[in-house]
Amino acid sequence: MTLTWTDWQAIAVPLVLAVGAVVVLLVDGFWKSGSRELRHAVVTLLTSAAILFGLVFVWAQRGGFKPAFCRPAVEGPAECSLVFEPLTAGLWAVLLIGGLGVVGLSAYRLLAADVPIGEYHFLLLSALVGATVLAGARDLATMVIGLEVVSLPSFAMVALRRDRRGSEGALKAFLVSVLSTAVMLFGISYLYGVTGSLYLSTIANRLPGIDPDLRRVAFAAGLFVIVGFAFKIAAVPFHAWLPDTYVGAPVEVTAFLAVVSKSAGVAGLLVLVTAGVAADGSELRTVVAVLAAVTMTVGNLAALRQQEAVRLLAWSSIGQVGFLLAPLAVGDAQAVVGYLAAYVVVTLGAFGSVAVVQRHRPAGLLTDYRGMVRSEPGLAAALIFFLVVLAGLPPGLAGLFTKFAAFQAVIDAHLGWLAIVMAVNVMIGLAVYLRWVAELFRLPADDPFSVDIESPAVAMISLCAATAAVLSVLPSTMFALAT
Amino acid sequence: MNAILLGILALPILAAAALWAVPVAIADRLAALYGSVVSGVVLIGSLLLWPRGAWASYTTLQDRPLRAVTDVPWIPSLDVRFHVAVDSISMPLIVLTALLVFLCCLYSVRITPRIGRTRSLIALLLVIEAGVIGTFSAMDLVLFFVCFEIVLIPMWLVIDIWGDDHDPAGRRRAATTFVLMTVLGSALMLLGFLLVHRKAGTFDIVQLTNSPVLGGHGVALAAAILIAVGMAVKVPLWPLHIWLPDAHAKAPTVGSVLLAGVLLKLGTYGLIRILVPVLPDATVTIAPYLAGFSTVAIIAGSLACLAQTDVKRLIAYSSVGHMGFIGLGIATLSPAGLRGALFANIAHGIITGLLFFLAGAIKDRHDTSDLREIGRALYARLPRIAALLTFASLASLGLPGLAGFWGEMLVLLGAYNPADALPRATYLVFMVLAGLGTVLTAAYFLRLVRNLCQGDPADHLPAAFAVDLSRIELATWAPLIALTVLLGVWPGLLLHQWGNL
Repeated sequence: MTLTWTDWQAIAVPLVLAVGAVVVLLVDGFWKSGSRELRHAVVTLLTSAAILFGLVFVWAQRGGFKPAFCRPAVEGPAECSLVFEPLTAGLWAVLLIGGLGVVGLSAYRLLAADVPIGEYHFLLLSALVGATVLAGARDLATMVIGLEVVSLPSFAMVALRRDRRGSEGALKAFLVSVLSTAVMLFGISYLYGVTGSLYLSTIANRLPGIDPDLRRVAFAAGLFVIVGFAFKIAAVPFHAWLPDTYVGAPVEVTAFLAVVSKSAGVAGLLVLVTAGVAADGSELRTVVAVLAAVTMTVGNLAALRQQEAVRLLAWSSIGQVGFLLAPLAVGDAQAVVGYLAAYVVVTLGAFGSVAVVQRHRPAGLLTDYRGMVRSEPGLAAALIFFLVVLAGLPPGLAGLFTKFAAFQAVIDAHLGWLAIVMAVNVMIGLAVYLRWVAELFRLPADDPFSVDIESPAVAMISLCAATAAVLSVLPSTMFALAT
Repeated sequence: MNAILLGILALPILAAAALWAVPVAIADRLAALYGSVVSGVVLIGSLLLWPRGAWASYTTLQDRPLRAVTDVPWIPSLDVRFHVAVDSISMPLIVLTALLVFLCCLYSVRITPRIGRTRSLIALLLVIEAGVIGTFSAMDLVLFFVCFEIVLIPMWLVIDIWGDDHDPAGRRRAATTFVLMTVLGSALMLLGFLLVHRKAGTFDIVQLTNSPVLGGHGVALAAAILIAVGMAVKVPLWPLHIWLPDAHAKAPTVGSVLLAGVLLKLGTYGLIRILVPVLPDATVTIAPYLAGFSTVAIIAGSLACLAQTDVKRLIAYSSVGHMGFIGLGIATLSPAGLRGALFANIAHGIITGLLFFLAGAIKDRHDTSDLREIGRALYARLPRIAALLTFASLASLGLPGLAGFWGEMLVLLGAYNPADALPRATYLVFMVLAGLGTVLTAAYFLRLVRNLCQGDPADHLPAAFAVDLSRIELATWAPLIALTVLLGVWPGLLLHQWGNL
């Protein structure tokens, strides 16, 4: 393969993130003179600076089109491995905001724990490198590499807590991820065998014209690739690893898994679907639609029975992925990116609030939140707002309109049955979140939660709430991300 | 004009936010007064919106012009606009809403649920008010849907927190059933709206009314069914009414009043505002079924009332019957039927609001709403309240001369002569059955009066604490009583506004 040209601006963001990761590791490793607090602050600032650079870059270049690692193709336009285009800009914005939020969350919790700060931020930035590459990837090899670079740091982060639950969670996630990579590589090899190319655009061009005998092979190959992604984003029935991993990890790592890791998987799947591997009207889209229906139903039903806050968020995040898969199944990038944006912001906020409570009440039961509307009105109001956005009801208009866009995409694609399943799931999802909201409102409480909340936490949660409020009043900003 | 409308939409929300910002200790004491002032201002604002010159003139308005129009883009990528306006259909409902919320706040100045937390209760009532007025003035399907949903969580909280304090599990179940059924209904309704958008390419109700989605089958029919089901949950139409009796019975007095007086109207308003004009052909297809379910609702609701032993549940079931009349009126698609439905909408809001206030008063005095435990002979024990209960019951059963009569009479008239496209014979059967329903209505209300008010006072000694009508109750109920009489003797006040439906 001969590379002919590359627009280096297209890979500026992953490069800067990678350099930032190394710098952070070196700073933490070799600068022993500073106090722990100071090092933590410097590392956090460096990490935030790298991510902020990415956000500024995305903002400045949001309309542009920059291909990288391209070569002329035999037929059609040039084949590129990584492309920065409006869709990439939207996905990167979501991923980087998610990463920044996790850095913010980590700023107020990790000091107390015995987690190595340098390694933690190194792993975080490495995962973001993978996530951004994955969202920009336009060939299958780059995709697999991007996905691996997201996944490997994640296991290490889950295991950071070094106790039984942490190790169990990390091991489960690792085994599942290895399996999913194997499945995906198997599918990719068949796809390559059928079409003779790894480039998505070329595959999309050649798929309609392939030998009818190979149609079924191509379908199976695409199915395997999708299943690989389904493991990664924990779509039912490939979700069993998720709850234990979420509970085993420290809360901010769980937030990372729920926000960055999951968004990266969705981004990859979205690129795969919209780039033409699953063309309009193909059976693969039906597969994704079925996956969406099953995922949201099972996730929400299981979430109904949870008694722990993190487990509830874990299962309900499966339900949310189901809702994300619905517009994805019809290839509506705008709806998917909008949904991701709202989901990322409020999930960060919800995990941020849970982290505050969990720090003082390690059991993490829903009943720990009883009466908070009186004892901690600010935190309770923010948490209620996040939950209501997740449920998609006023006042959480950000959630309502992203669900609305998902419905619209599905209805316009004539998938009536999926729309009905989604309508039922709106109801089940509401029941899930209302249980929690009801606890917050329940008075009088025997032992209401009340502490002095650390100011970084206050800042972080207020920021999430303010962003969600802005998105609620001006929902068009979410949908403008990917156009 | 449009500033007034935007004002009465924004004021309650801002006032609620401000109320939550005030510390509990102060706010709990002043909340009800504050709420009365705010909702009083909203009431005045809504009266100012009422078309001048239409107050007393019997001239038939040739067209129903929209007033107080605000139309700005909101989410261009989803084709959603912030488009609000009022016309003669929505105006009386907005005034009714403002009036009932005002009366509820006024009532709370003296009488609040035992659980306290008045600050949040009043704030939630104000949020509900904004949501309902928003629904009545929305001219965009998506905005309608959003406002429709705004009401849900506040109402859920009102039932869940301030509901029946003898039965915490029951009130939670009632609240959850209410919110989940309604949200499912509104999600289905949203699917219908999206189908309409797919066919017509717009969410704007004005445009859709001027160039409706034609065709009585396929996508249009699916959209009509989805919208009708969504609204029917809210109305509620038999057999989707199962959330209603519990929600009404467990809710606090002000919650029941707003549920019955205002929230149920959202469904019938939606049917009249959206289903009938936007999907005319498909509505003709489903109208006989709608009428059939409505008729069943009338009969089933009335029969259920005969079996009730709880005064609040009885009134709740009577709402099922009355809303059945409204549904039947809409399903006739005839001018008389639609006008009757609109009139009955208002009348039901006023009379049932009054009935729930009375039931709440009786319940507060006896600490139970069970008819057998309350005992009989209220005429002797609480003469004024008993007299008012009899009055409200008579109004509700449709005594000529009171507000309840005209709506149901017009509905029956409409059913006698439905729109040309509809099967007349079927509607005649419905009319006869609905007429039978009025007899049943009379039966259960008279049974209520007999079981509760009459009887030998010697057998039922007056409880020591039972105070008859207090001043705040009189002040709160007087407007409802006056309106019941006024609309009864002068129905033209409202009817002439809907001249050319």
